[in-house]
Amino acid sequence: MRRYELIFILRPSLGEAEITNVIDYTTKIISDENGAVIDLNKWGMKKLAYPIKKELQGYYVYCEYAGTPAAVAEIERKYRIDDAVLKYLTIKTADSMTAEEIQAAIGETEARNAAAAKEAEEAAAAEAEAATAETAETEAPAAQE
Amino acid sequence: MARPQKKLFSRKKVCRFCADKELEINYKDVKTLRNFVTERGKIIPRRILGTCATHQRQLCEAIKQARHIALLPYSGSSQG
Repeated sequence: MRRYELIFILRPSLGEAEITNVIDYTTKIISDENGAVIDLNKWGMKKLAYPIKKELQGYYVYCEYAGTPAAVAEIERKYRIDDAVLKYLTIKTADSMTAEEIQAAIGETEARNAAAAKEAEEAAAAEAEAATAETAETEAPAAQE
Repeated sequence: MARPQKKLFSRKKVCRFCADKELEINYKDVKTLRNFVTERGKIIPRRILGTCATHQRQLCEAIKQARHIALLPYSGSSQG
């Protein structure tokens, strides 16, 4: 199993269903060849540095997976046919991965996501506290009047 | 033929990446890559930046990959 990074850009006018459709058949091709998806990250809508197929914005999706070269060829073949995919880029990051390394990598991404989610929660909690503190302050002067 | 040395490229430039091992060259990292590209989007040559050959090659590859994914423009300023 080789480790690959895949970034692909979808048309901005697609709906959620079509986006998940593309992601689904991609992951299906990977798992059909007994690969494993290590990380799947949707970057979302971004402004393109230059117009691609007359589109100025694109929906970026980042996928890291362990797979065979045949899987890569198949994914790229489908992307070439698919109208919804504007651009794709596959990069090989590691030549071979043992099953343990794959598990370790998946564990890493999960830990990262959990940590990021916790940070987001804490940030939201801190904001909520600040908001309540502000309302308490505004209530106090109002009560004094 | 002794040529009078007009301008020695003054200070000994240190490669930014060799000095600071933390800096990773990644095509996804547009903010760092912007530092190595002119306003018009051209790659800044090694003799001006002072990077070493290996890192300049990695940098070039990363910039070209970023251009392929439209994270960096091929030409023109990116605030198009």
